[in-house]
Amino acid sequence: MGSVLLIEDDDRIRLSLTMALEDEGYTAHAVATAEEGLVAQRSNPADTVLVDLMLPGMDGFECIRQLRRVDDVPIIVVSARDDTHDIVAGLEAGADDYIVKPVAVKELAARLRALRRRARAAAPAVTVAAFGDLEVLPEAGEVRLRGEPVAVTRTEFRLLCELAEHPGQVLSRQQLLQRVWGYEIGDERLVDVHVGRLRHKIEETPGAPRHLVTVRGLGYKLQR
Amino acid sequence: MRVGLRTRVSAAFAVGALVLSACVSMVSYELARSTLFSERERTAVRATYFDAAVVDAGLPDRTADVGEVLRSLDTGVDRHVLLHRDGRWYSPNAGPAAGFAVPTGLQELTAGGTAGAQRIRLDGQAALVVGIPVRSGIFYEVVSLSELDRTLQLLGLVLAAVAIMVAGAGAAVGWYVTRHALRPLTAVAAAARNIADGDLDTRLDPDAEPDLAALSVSFNHMADQLARRIERDRRFAADVSHELRSPLQTLSAAVSVVDRRRDGMDPKAAAAVGLISEEVGRFQDLVDDLLELARSDRPADREPTDLRGLVARVCRARGLPEDLLEVEPGTPEVWPVDRRRIEQALRNLLDNAVRYGGGPVAVRLGRAGERHVIEVDDAGPGIAEENRTVIFDRFVRGPAANARGGGDGTGLGLSIVARHAAAHGGTVTAGERPGGGARFRVELP
Repeated sequence: MGSVLLIEDDDRIRLSLTMALEDEGYTAHAVATAEEGLVAQRSNPADTVLVDLMLPGMDGFECIRQLRRVDDVPIIVVSARDDTHDIVAGLEAGADDYIVKPVAVKELAARLRALRRRARAAAPAVTVAAFGDLEVLPEAGEVRLRGEPVAVTRTEFRLLCELAEHPGQVLSRQQLLQRVWGYEIGDERLVDVHVGRLRHKIEETPGAPRHLVTVRGLGYKLQR
Repeated sequence: MRVGLRTRVSAAFAVGALVLSACVSMVSYELARSTLFSERERTAVRATYFDAAVVDAGLPDRTADVGEVLRSLDTGVDRHVLLHRDGRWYSPNAGPAAGFAVPTGLQELTAGGTAGAQRIRLDGQAALVVGIPVRSGIFYEVVSLSELDRTLQLLGLVLAAVAIMVAGAGAAVGWYVTRHALRPLTAVAAAARNIADGDLDTRLDPDAEPDLAALSVSFNHMADQLARRIERDRRFAADVSHELRSPLQTLSAAVSVVDRRRDGMDPKAAAAVGLISEEVGRFQDLVDDLLELARSDRPADREPTDLRGLVARVCRARGLPEDLLEVEPGTPEVWPVDRRRIEQALRNLLDNAVRYGGGPVAVRLGRAGERHVIEVDDAGPGIAEENRTVIFDRFVRGPAANARGGGDGTGLGLSIVARHAAAHGGTVTAGERPGGGARFRVELP
């Protein structure tokens, strides 16, 4: 099924979640601090990382940023904090998804499956899509801005491909949640924050985007 | 009704100005009147002496024709002359002499050989009688003062008008001055309104209006206290949230581990595990709803939202047919609402309809004037009149129409709907659907 790295400082949660995830067929490795988690991911990379935000020492936000510096492994925040502020900050740090505790193990497993499906996504419909100085190459798994490759996470890349396959067409947040995250029902803030992150990478002025634009109340579209 | 400060100050200004200007007017009037009268009197006396000399000269002896001499005087229209001679009254006209016009007091005075003057009213008009003893008798002149009277009347009118105008000007000044004086209070009111609207960083600048520094300082102190308190409550809710959710996470994961192995347990243990599993789920819902309520007084985080899409999504998630949605013509597609909270309100209303109302039969989007309206109709027995407000209270549950193994809600769903509507400045009401069943109506400005 795949391997999961769980970074969680609460012993009881760590123990129970590890058991439950193993029941679901995952190989779970659990650590109590962000520092241990970073070491573990470097020496023995897991397919997915679950991380708590409130950790002793290095906090979850910093942990995500450090993980992101190394690779594009899917990261899910599992936190008891459900403030919009925390959710957005966690996603902005680079997480792919945010789950508020307590989460039912079945729900968690469903999210993990959706992430894995995404990792083995179907062959893209186009080989290259150009939007002015922005190029999306779904097959090569590359994004280029003025000829230079741009580092994006897997989720960001999938999001960009989805929009690139429908140039100039508005996709609603729900459509994007379905197609990119594989969620029938999900938190639209996921889409908003990922779009924001992408803008910082592909737009000259992220505050006034040229390519990835918001259509008020409806969704997003990618244009020249 | 209490009279406003501005009105009272303006009225005081007006009364003050009126009293002052009335006094000034009265004094001026009196001064003008006495000056004019004495001036007129002097002129009349002088003219009378002159006429008296002429008459005296025209009547050297008792034989001369008195009427002739009197007629020869140039008296104009506002002077009448009379001569009292040997107990008889003579006037220029042939008619009976008007000696009655001369007051007896003056007659006695002049009979004593002294000249005198007295003001009288003749045919309703002011007049002056001047009497001078001459050799040929006593010469009187009656001078009409009606012209002077008219002048004084006009002066009185003018002064009264001025007094009234000054009073009006006083009121205007009062109004103007209070507006300026109250302007800093307008700033206080605006700041208070901002805070009420959720902008807790609003403060007043105590240096902006030195006279109101004390008020500004107290106001800021109050705002600080309020902000601190709200922050404390927020942190408390966050702490409670964390402290409750962490053990729930352990419970939830551990129960799922046990639940998987239920088949191998003896029936009693399996049943107990089933109960625990169910209750953990319920407890989780309760914690979620309580925390939502605790935070529900925060202002709505509005953004343009496609309401049709939202309704369709919520229906889909609940396994309800999407054709429940009815959109009235003229309803805008995009509403400025807090997406998350409206979604939750709708979810709770639909859950309520499923749990207690025999399932929803319609979700209607429409407009009522400037307000957006969401209506959820159900197929249940409706809600008794007396319960229509109570059901929005906390922990009030209806009789479950299709109770499935006691799968009751938290009893907080509708109160959350009410709080979310209130956070938007809107309302939620329970009513009757034409044809039976309940209708919940959410109105959002």
